[in-house]
Amino acid sequence: MSHLRSMLTLCLLLTAAVTLTLTAGCSDTSEPARTADGKQAVTLALNWVPEPEFGGFYAALESGQYASQGLDVTIKPGGAGAPVIQQIATGKVPFGIVSADEIVIARSRGAKVVAIFTSYQTCPQGIMVHSDRNIESLEQLFKTPGTIAMEPGLPYGKFLTKKYPPASDVKIVPYTGGVAQFLNDKTYSQQGFIFSEPVTARRQGANPRFFLTAEAGYDPYTVVVATSEAFLEKHPQLVKSFVAATRKGWELYLADPSAANAVMGKLNTTMDAQSFKEAAESHTHLIENDHTRANGLGSMTLERWETLSLQLVELGVIDTAVPASECFRTLD
Amino acid sequence: MSEPSPNPPSSPVEDADASPAGLGVQIHNVTRTFDGKVTAVDDLSLTIEPGSFVALLGPSGCGKSTLLRMIAGLDKPTSGTIQFTGDLSTREGQSPIAFVFQDAHLLPWRTVSRNIALPLELMKNPERGTVAYMTARVGLADAADRYPAQLSGGMRMRVSLARALVTHPRLLLLDEPFAALDEITRQKLDDLLLDLWRETGITVIFVTHSTSEAAYLAQRAVVFSSRPARIVADMPIDLPAERDRTVRGQAAFAQVTAQLYDALEKGEQHG
Amino acid sequence: MNWRRVLKLTLPPLISFIVMTLLAEMLIRGLEVSSFLLPPPSSILKALVHPTHRGPLLAAMGTTALAAGTGFVLSGVIGISVAIALSSSRWIERAFYPFAIFFQTVPLIAIAPLLVIWTRTSLQAVIASAFIVSIFPVIASSLSGLLSVDPNLRDLFRLYRGSRKDTLLKLRLPSATPQILTGLRVAAGLSVVGAIVGEFFAGGGLGIFLQTALKEQRTDLIFAAVLLAAVLGLILFGLVNFAGYFLLRRWHASVQ
Repeated sequence: MSHLRSMLTLCLLLTAAVTLTLTAGCSDTSEPARTADGKQAVTLALNWVPEPEFGGFYAALESGQYASQGLDVTIKPGGAGAPVIQQIATGKVPFGIVSADEIVIARSRGAKVVAIFTSYQTCPQGIMVHSDRNIESLEQLFKTPGTIAMEPGLPYGKFLTKKYPPASDVKIVPYTGGVAQFLNDKTYSQQGFIFSEPVTARRQGANPRFFLTAEAGYDPYTVVVATSEAFLEKHPQLVKSFVAATRKGWELYLADPSAANAVMGKLNTTMDAQSFKEAAESHTHLIENDHTRANGLGSMTLERWETLSLQLVELGVIDTAVPASECFRTLD
Repeated sequence: MSEPSPNPPSSPVEDADASPAGLGVQIHNVTRTFDGKVTAVDDLSLTIEPGSFVALLGPSGCGKSTLLRMIAGLDKPTSGTIQFTGDLSTREGQSPIAFVFQDAHLLPWRTVSRNIALPLELMKNPERGTVAYMTARVGLADAADRYPAQLSGGMRMRVSLARALVTHPRLLLLDEPFAALDEITRQKLDDLLLDLWRETGITVIFVTHSTSEAAYLAQRAVVFSSRPARIVADMPIDLPAERDRTVRGQAAFAQVTAQLYDALEKGEQHG
Repeated sequence: MNWRRVLKLTLPPLISFIVMTLLAEMLIRGLEVSSFLLPPPSSILKALVHPTHRGPLLAAMGTTALAAGTGFVLSGVIGISVAIALSSSRWIERAFYPFAIFFQTVPLIAIAPLLVIWTRTSLQAVIASAFIVSIFPVIASSLSGLLSVDPNLRDLFRLYRGSRKDTLLKLRLPSATPQILTGLRVAAGLSVVGAIVGEFFAGGGLGIFLQTALKEQRTDLIFAAVLLAAVLGLILFGLVNFAGYFLLRRWHASVQ
């Protein structure tokens, strides 16, 4: 019987150790630390490496916008698979960059995260295709023999393949970054952001054409700043200041991206200055539109969140629609 | 672990050109030095008569095992030669020299029969009749399908003996084979070995550090000094040819062992 | 088939698994951990058997099993052959063994995209990943076993002028069997890991299922897929042990 007892004790210890370790890093909504000069230190976690899509944040940092609001902001670059939404949900970071569909999915799973600012009004994600193939639309792309690389599990992929069922001679493969295969294979198309992969491909001599997913009807807010409801409740003024400074940063970046580009160029050596410049030029119309001219950069509407929620239900990603009003806050 | 069968079987039909008497060995000025530093055997000369039973007696580590390995061809002298006399012709698939190690060294994944058959397999000898005969001859007929892990130390040594004899060798070399066994088992195996020698008439060279074993088994004992091995004494064993257990109680036996012991002592002192 | 032995081997881990699952269920629910972070075992089980996921999960497991199994068999056959070749002479061993270490240290994430380019089908790429990750332990263990044969037995074979082929087949390989099996045990789990990483790049199987579950934030499905991957590894591991039992039961202490 002592065998059984020691076995049971070990079971208890093992289970407890594993469970407690896994759940250890939970919600930390304590007061952000104060720096020497009295500013509040907060972190903004990016979901990729520094690129023009984050230009506004670096502009806000470099030009002292955050500082003038009493904030000492650390921008933490991310990379492939960076679990930003989880870090926000568990309180590891106060602010993070995610896309709107991530927020809707997280909320439907019970995580209390909320959007406070969107950099892109129109989603800059899409598919890059070789111009020589004379493909005029996404619908045509999915019917023409070739390979299409899309990141597995992203809702936009489900959306496209549902709307344009791929023909039997169309191969869908995982997209894992870069443009190497695109350059080597004329029949290869791939996911990308309008200001990134096409720019790189063009620099390497290719002639790409880019189709925005938004044109097909899937258009979630992208490069969205999110925070946890708990953090927002405890530090409403801080969050408001952050949004204000961020908005200013984007205004400055749209006017003149060179300073922020220089900073990002040092952090991300895979893109040269020319690439940064071209990239920044390609996305202005996606950031600024009539809505933002009327309501300010970064503002969002109920309609857009509602549409997104319903689309995700239709795609089977979530079971029931998430109330749009819970997904975002407008803080002026 | 059951007892080996008490009655040895009868020999198979005599083979017309079965192996004749054993080989003779001539060791001329053999020296064996390792790495230019350690000399195990120093300018040794020795002649072994065909069909004789010779004991090589000496203290542990004196080099007698090295000498045995050189005779077997498992090692080469640094200088000097080892030659064989007698009928050196070998039948297809027969090895003239057999070796019994200190431990039985059986292949643990093979049964008793298959272990005994190993030399025949390696020499591409298709004949297998000897295997059954030898298995029974050493008293293991009932254990033929057992694995070494299921055998006692004594039984394993019997397998080793059978394996050594299955190729009809003309020279049998044994390196302290029974040292690890208990008294009674050792006695039984001593007697078995003597019987086998008498039946086959082959030459037997038996390395041991036991004076009583040398006296019991051999016709002649060569005593070595401690390393490097040099011959300290070379004497015939003055005991009746037909030996059995009772000889151990006789006065002559005690005399012989005493002589051997003296020679051993002398060898150890001079070194 | 010795049923008492089978029970003796499978009952203890089964009991501890059930106990720990129950404890985890109580702890997770008791501490009210968000299922977003760590789902209780009951919801993982529910996800496993739910009709929507049951089919895709098992299909994914089957795909990964095929690739991992093939990669494992390849690393077994080729690994043992390479070890035999390396053991044939000291010179060859010294000249080529260091290159085998390449398989140990190359980061799979770095070369997986290349594997996708070099192979014709995604299944081939995944098999290649499983192979690359799992072959080194087989080579290392097998080589060690082949080189550590009892020198007296080797003398025995020399005495009877055993051919190189006989020495390999009748002495060295049987003698090395315990170590070869050890290498294969390690390779079993690694081949599953290698297959899943390969699938991240080549598509299909549990790898893609995991990625999708990650993106869709279905933590319960993530754990369900991980559980199936572990089961896969256990099955391969169990097969090696099973083979080992039959090969070694007559003579090796490890199976007594």
